[in-house]
Amino acid sequence: MRRRSSLPVTFLVPTLAILLVLSMVPTLYAIVIALQNRELSTTGYSWVWFSNFADLFLDRRFLNAVWVSVKWEVVTVVATMVVAIGLGVLMFEVAGPRLRNFYCLLFIIPVLLPRVSAAFVWKFAYHPLYGIATYPYRLITGGLIFDPLSKPATALFAVASVDVWQWGLFFAVIVLKLLETLPPQPIEAARLDHAKRWQIHAYVTLPMLKAPLISLMFVKMIESLRSFDLIYVMTRGGPGVATETLDMYAFSQGFIESGKVSYASAMAVLMMIATVITFTMLWKRVQA
Amino acid sequence: MKSNRLAASLGAAFVLTASVSTAALAQAPVCSAPVKVLAQPRDGLTLLEDSKDEFKKLSGASFQIDYLNENDRRAKSRADASTVGNYNVYYVDEANVALFASSGWIAPLTDYYPAEYDFADFDPGRQKVATYDGKVWFAPLTGGGDLMVYRKDVLEAAGIQPPKTLDELIADVPKLTNADKGVYGIALRGARGSGANVWRWMPFFKAYGGKWFDGDKPAFNSDAAVKATETYLKLFKDSAPGTQTGSWDESTGAFLSGQVAILVESTPLSGMAVDPKTSQVVGEVGFLPPPSPLPGGGYGHGLAIGTKANADDAAKKCAGLFIAWATSKENEKRRLDAHQFGELNRTSVLSSKEFADIYGADLGKALADTGKVTAVNFWQDPRWPDLGDRWGIILEELVTGTRTDIKGGLNELEAYANELVKKK
Repeated sequence: MRRRSSLPVTFLVPTLAILLVLSMVPTLYAIVIALQNRELSTTGYSWVWFSNFADLFLDRRFLNAVWVSVKWEVVTVVATMVVAIGLGVLMFEVAGPRLRNFYCLLFIIPVLLPRVSAAFVWKFAYHPLYGIATYPYRLITGGLIFDPLSKPATALFAVASVDVWQWGLFFAVIVLKLLETLPPQPIEAARLDHAKRWQIHAYVTLPMLKAPLISLMFVKMIESLRSFDLIYVMTRGGPGVATETLDMYAFSQGFIESGKVSYASAMAVLMMIATVITFTMLWKRVQA
Repeated sequence: MKSNRLAASLGAAFVLTASVSTAALAQAPVCSAPVKVLAQPRDGLTLLEDSKDEFKKLSGASFQIDYLNENDRRAKSRADASTVGNYNVYYVDEANVALFASSGWIAPLTDYYPAEYDFADFDPGRQKVATYDGKVWFAPLTGGGDLMVYRKDVLEAAGIQPPKTLDELIADVPKLTNADKGVYGIALRGARGSGANVWRWMPFFKAYGGKWFDGDKPAFNSDAAVKATETYLKLFKDSAPGTQTGSWDESTGAFLSGQVAILVESTPLSGMAVDPKTSQVVGEVGFLPPPSPLPGGGYGHGLAIGTKANADDAAKKCAGLFIAWATSKENEKRRLDAHQFGELNRTSVLSSKEFADIYGADLGKALADTGKVTAVNFWQDPRWPDLGDRWGIILEELVTGTRTDIKGGLNELEAYANELVKKK
């Protein structure tokens, strides 16, 4: 008869207890606050139950924030994965071992920068008169002004490019390292069959890396949900509400404009529910 | 005899003990822990940090200032004051003093401001801004109204006299824009916020006869607001690049680097414009009051005593001493010596010979003239930041073209104002 060991319980119980306290207490508190009408400027409050949630769906800024968040998520995740796979494959095909190491070092630097620093650097780079990123436009057009952060059509993409600059390059290094770990035989077999380079990657290497690439995508999806600092520094949600994501709007309602912490909490709770449902569905679909 | 001696000895001991205690009390430090201050960057506060030892000697403790830019400072101080109360001293301004005072987040300043520091010496306009509900809540670090600052050389080259009226300003600004040479007629503030784009829009609103409320009824959704917004958007066509989503830093930065012909901005700009350390247009700058009928936007920023972090009277006295020392005549004199024009608030300093020697008679006259047209343009109510920030978002949308319906924006703001009134 096998003796049951108490070791897993010894290790798991304290860890899970700490995790439970750290995650559940603020979550439950946020849910409770969302059902009240608390404001920073007053000490009194009452229970309004689902009134904050109902108000949210009549709030044009909330609906806009949902749409901006979806756009932000799609743009940053897709662009990061495209850049990562493109650059990773390019380095794998073109660069020798020493050059690869040099590129890897270079491509890791952006992600090591704190988000706020990266945001400030790029905010100056996008300055319409002095920015290095807008300089080519001024040069080509003979001095015409382009201010990407103040144009509703370009602001989101300008901020997203900084996110992709940080994470796309870092993921390219990971993709390269993943490609280097693949067994050479399937690639050699494809070459013997006269497969072109792009066909080798499209039909052999990348399908072999499906699982780690999906994991990378999930990591990026979670990371993209936490881009508050980047957006806050670069545009503060503007121009107007063009880059106002859900977390930006919740912070704005809770602490900048009105001090409506209950209303902000209702947004946070909705975000949490939407995120859990979306990620669970995606995860199950990928597993299937 | 023996008992007499004993009584005398006891009496002497008592007197000695009492006098030692009194001496100890007299020398007891006012502060028992470092004073924590939440502020926004100001040259005057940076200079103050050089004199930390002086405050330590005076109070028995040092101080620590945490800086955040204006919007972040407002958000953080509101969150901190209403919850944990980490800071002994808050940097407050005309826009949020009513909210902080009515919420009980700050204490009446003059109750804890030592008399010898002479609060009455502050400029009367700034004292007025620091007063809410009959009580003084902060000691000013900066304040004033608006001035029209213009480039003499650019206007002369275009054959244009400095505009005296709003109509002249509207007509002149497009003529002064020469984008090929990197010069723009004006610089405005586009970034959201009751203290940002709304602050610069309000003089237009007031100039066209607008008012915020009639009793408890919102009155701002009017022809005056539409006309003010149309004018603001029209002028924005000639505003320097980067100002569409920028605020004070961007518009004054554009002027000081030589890109702007005319700027109507808060008075500290004038000191920066004549300082070679900050301005590339020294010697080319003229000053006048804002074109009529634009009123200047009266404002004031300063230091207030937090109530949560200073739970007892002793802590409040310590915070009060810090504020008094930080805004004292001696420290203001240091700021004058360092040519920190925007940091001067005391009548004794502003009317001193040293001030006139440094900044000249022209600026002094312009300041005196603009004082006559300086007004409080915002709604003096705790709910002002809420309403002002809401309009700031809508105005930013209009400036950047995210929305185009001015009337629709005002209707939306009116609905929001009605909600605020109902909640009172």
